Amino acid sequence: MDKTININIAGTLFQIDDEAYRILRDYLQAINNRFRNIQGGHETIDDIESRIAEIFQSQKGLSGAISKDNVEAMISILGKPEDFDFNESETAPPVYTSGRKRMYRNPDDSVISGVCGGIGAYLNTDPVLFRILFVLFAIFGVGLLVYIILWIALPVANTDSRKREMYGSSYHSATSQYHQSDRNSTSAAPTYNQGYYNTSNAGNAFNEVFSAIGRVLYIILRIFLIIIGIAFVLIGFLAILSVVMVFVFKFPGVFSHNGINVHLAYYTDFLNYIVSPSSTPWIITLTLIAVILPMLALIYWGVKMIFWFKARDGVFSLAGFIVWVLACVALSMILFNEGISFAQSGKAITQILMTNTPDTIYIMTDHKTSDLKYDKEFSLPDEDYTIYMDDSAHQLYIPSRLQLNITDENIVKLEIEKRSSGRTRSDAVRKAESIIYNSKIGRDTIWLDEYFALPAGSRWTADFATVNLFVPENTVLHFDKTSENLFHNEIRIGLVKNNIVTHSQYDELTEPWELGNKYWIISEDGLEETRRAPSKQK
Amino acid sequence: MDLENTKAQMRKGILEYCILSVLSRNSCYASDIIKELKEAQVIVVEGTLYPLLTRQKNAGLLSYRWEESQQGPPRKYYELTTDGRTYLADLDKSWKELVDSVNLIRTR
Repeated sequence: MDKTININIAGTLFQIDDEAYRILRDYLQAINNRFRNIQGGHETIDDIESRIAEIFQSQKGLSGAISKDNVEAMISILGKPEDFDFNESETAPPVYTSGRKRMYRNPDDSVISGVCGGIGAYLNTDPVLFRILFVLFAIFGVGLLVYIILWIALPVANTDSRKREMYGSSYHSATSQYHQSDRNSTSAAPTYNQGYYNTSNAGNAFNEVFSAIGRVLYIILRIFLIIIGIAFVLIGFLAILSVVMVFVFKFPGVFSHNGINVHLAYYTDFLNYIVSPSSTPWIITLTLIAVILPMLALIYWGVKMIFWFKARDGVFSLAGFIVWVLACVALSMILFNEGISFAQSGKAITQILMTNTPDTIYIMTDHKTSDLKYDKEFSLPDEDYTIYMDDSAHQLYIPSRLQLNITDENIVKLEIEKRSSGRTRSDAVRKAESIIYNSKIGRDTIWLDEYFALPAGSRWTADFATVNLFVPENTVLHFDKTSENLFHNEIRIGLVKNNIVTHSQYDELTEPWELGNKYWIISEDGLEETRRAPSKQK
Repeated sequence: MDLENTKAQMRKGILEYCILSVLSRNSCYASDIIKELKEAQVIVVEGTLYPLLTRQKNAGLLSYRWEESQQGPPRKYYELTTDGRTYLADLDKSWKELVDSVNLIRTR
């Protein structure tokens, strides 16, 4: 047995069997599709539904379920929508299905490309207002960018239907009624198995309330989207601006913070010293693509959210996304390949013994960073590591470090540890050996360079030079002002027993910047200042 | 040439004129108009009428009022407006001219 369904057509309840219902539903859907986009179409649909109700009543009275035959008889009377002798070109051409306004460029009202004319038509406002706004914002750059995006993305309203969408209600004043016919078409959807096909009279009040609520929600949503859109445009624009400022104009701007100059602007210059020269332009280009493309997408989405236009941008977006993914993949491959040069670390150690063991040792700075001739300075963020670049000689200078050690032997010893990295361990060791660091030992004086140098033309591979000074406990040390810098931020003191470093700690009492031009006694507790140098033993 | 198509085009051209003519005699329901048009074989299927009525109503040629029906939903009762009568008078004139023109050509 077929089940029967109750439906409401034009205010009258009918019982209809399942198969007939499906035919009727398709027929109504076809009628709806045919007329809903035509001016006054909803009214025609209502009229036809009334007629359907009449025909059913004349067939059946009010008893018994409507059968497939009844429906087919009704359709043969009314005719299929495609058989209607109705000349569409004489009436309003179909408008966009939801009857909603769309933004286009207006060819009838254009100064440059019709963008402002289109916005004016969309918002029912004088386009001159937007022209002034765009000119004002063009001064900051944002306006120009937004304008160009709109120019590219907005289609031209070159057909009647597009013009109708652009002007919206000024072409047809029945926007809300279109919402109703849409509502009708959804209530006829198969999900309503109890088949409540609601039209006109009874449901009008509800429909109006719902469409009013819908409109309010829509407006709230639009405002929300516009705010997000504006945020997107601004974020994207500022990000691109920053990237361009830093990498093209080398203006560090906001990246200098807390008084520590990060010199991020010299990233691209420093790149020449890290990677093989041939891959530098690739890395820069790919990085810019990887960073700027998403920002452009962000701006585009923002503009789209603000102006809510329809654009055939699917292929465009997909292409952009593919380019971005390829750029990221290529970049990571290049970086991985370059990163292999840092795979292994190696070190080279040189030891220098003092011939005697003086009570007081004078630590002097020989070559100072302040005397260095360099073009650019690059600091690794949060690492106490600065690189000075001499571009003409293609040479790098990097400050070295000093660590104090208390030894149980009665000797004074200097150990210079140079570390580097390379593709293999032997590469790394060779690289470490090539590091140039000068030190001299006198009778009671040690001259240390504030920095070490990499051989001219060689690449940076995470190089370090650390000077370990070994002295017996209670030796008095005198530092000149510059040698403070060798400790960088903290004084580190190691304890050596039987040639093995047993313990290493930071001096918590003394700070590096207190050391200069003073005498200090070294002990396990750290450095302690003494008033005078003890008498020297001859 | 598709004869059926040409005939359909001809019917389309005069359909609106026919509707107004039917209504000029007396105001009536859509189903009454349909009956007359069907008898005159001007329309094939009923569905054709409804969009035309809506269009003419929106153009101000027709007006309607709701009439309760003994059985079924309330029905629209159409009549010509003053504009509609003027419009029809114009159409009557152009119809005569058209017939004359066609006859002139056919009988020459």
